[in-house]
Amino acid sequence: MAGAVSTSTAARPARLVARWPYSPAPLARIAVLRVIVYLFVPVDVLLTTAWVNGHASVPGELYVPLRIGRLLPLPTPGPWVEVLQVVLVLAALAAALAAVRDRLPRLTGWLVAVLYFEWMVVAMSYGKVDHDRFAFLVALFVLPSVGRAALRSRDRTEAAGWALAVIALAVVATYTLAAVAKIRFGGWDWVDGATLTRAVVRRNTPLSEPLLDVPVVLHAAAYGVMLLELVVAPLLLVRWRDPRVTWGLAGLFLGFHLMTFSMVTIIFLPHCVALLAFLPLERLVPARSHTGAVCSWREHPDDGPRERPRR
Amino acid sequence: MLTATGRSLRSAVTAVLVVLVLAGTFVGDDDDFPFGPFKMYAGRDDPNGLVPDTRVEAVDSSGRLRVVDESATGLRRAEIEGQAERFRAQPELLAALATAHARLRPDEPRLVEIRVVERLYQLRDSRPTGEQRELVLARWQAP
Repeated sequence: MAGAVSTSTAARPARLVARWPYSPAPLARIAVLRVIVYLFVPVDVLLTTAWVNGHASVPGELYVPLRIGRLLPLPTPGPWVEVLQVVLVLAALAAALAAVRDRLPRLTGWLVAVLYFEWMVVAMSYGKVDHDRFAFLVALFVLPSVGRAALRSRDRTEAAGWALAVIALAVVATYTLAAVAKIRFGGWDWVDGATLTRAVVRRNTPLSEPLLDVPVVLHAAAYGVMLLELVVAPLLLVRWRDPRVTWGLAGLFLGFHLMTFSMVTIIFLPHCVALLAFLPLERLVPARSHTGAVCSWREHPDDGPRERPRR
Repeated sequence: MLTATGRSLRSAVTAVLVVLVLAGTFVGDDDDFPFGPFKMYAGRDDPNGLVPDTRVEAVDSSGRLRVVDESATGLRRAEIEGQAERFRAQPELLAALATAHARLRPDEPRLVEIRVVERLYQLRDSRPTGEQRELVLARWQAP
């Protein structure tokens, strides 16, 4: 989402907001993001959420269907979940291949989105809902809407811009609305509570355990988290004149997740994948010009004035 | 360029997403997944209160007492905690964990007794005092 601050500052704010999601973005970024997202699905399904498979063996009386599971005729998890796991992995690999070859993006993409969503419903229907994958789910559902997007394309489209804007909104919502939830459930004095101490008592690592003896550090960290979520995260939505600001912000949040992992072994991995949507991923592949010759990504007005063309 | 229909459709989807996620945040709950509130660590813990840590213990048919983790029962610690009230009210539900264990670990001796145990760590000024005690929240024994 790197780009210059809109030059039309004279435009009314409402129009600016209405236009914001449709600022054209590179199709190649969509293509690269698709490959990353679809290759991440097998990693997630086979490693980070492999525990979902355990639900296949849990008798139905411990299944606590979510609202969506009560509204839709979703089956009670059972041995079929193991089949779902295999089919989902194969579908994701097929979608990644389709993204590389720029074939059938909608069919393969939405198939993965629906299957992964069902995997998540099975995951969250046993008494605990995780909050680390909203943006990733949004990415899975909106990426196919762009239609065809070649890895080496140099075109920018509004459809690509919208998909990236919605993913960006979902990433920022995960932070900002998490701060709102802290105020809703924990109260305005959440920052002065012992929530982070609780987290470290329950999930400490050699790095975080010594902090239990220095409560002031965790107390300050609570203020830091609130500030980061409520104030800093929305800055990701700004189209900065200098794209290094976006890099810096994305790096800051990736660092925040790494730090959280080192302290309490919780990492918002799917969310981190969605966070990549802010970066100029198209630079990972050399673009092909209209004449077919391979060339580098050239400066685009939206990339900001300080951007140098890459060779 | 998007067609007028394409743009209207996208604007409508954006609006629906925003409304659902805001509604989930302000009045929803986990049940509304994926639009529930982002309440990871949103609760406030009392700096002079107790921190609970739950585990599942079991006695197997060879008489061995052991702690069974999520890979042996199919349920994560947070899921056991999420259903703790149900287990307390209906301890016979723990039989389902024994069934899950038999399916996941067919080579291991059957579980004949299961306990959900909560260890409580006392805090003072956001610092663990070292005091702790344990409560058995629910207990089931094979008939």
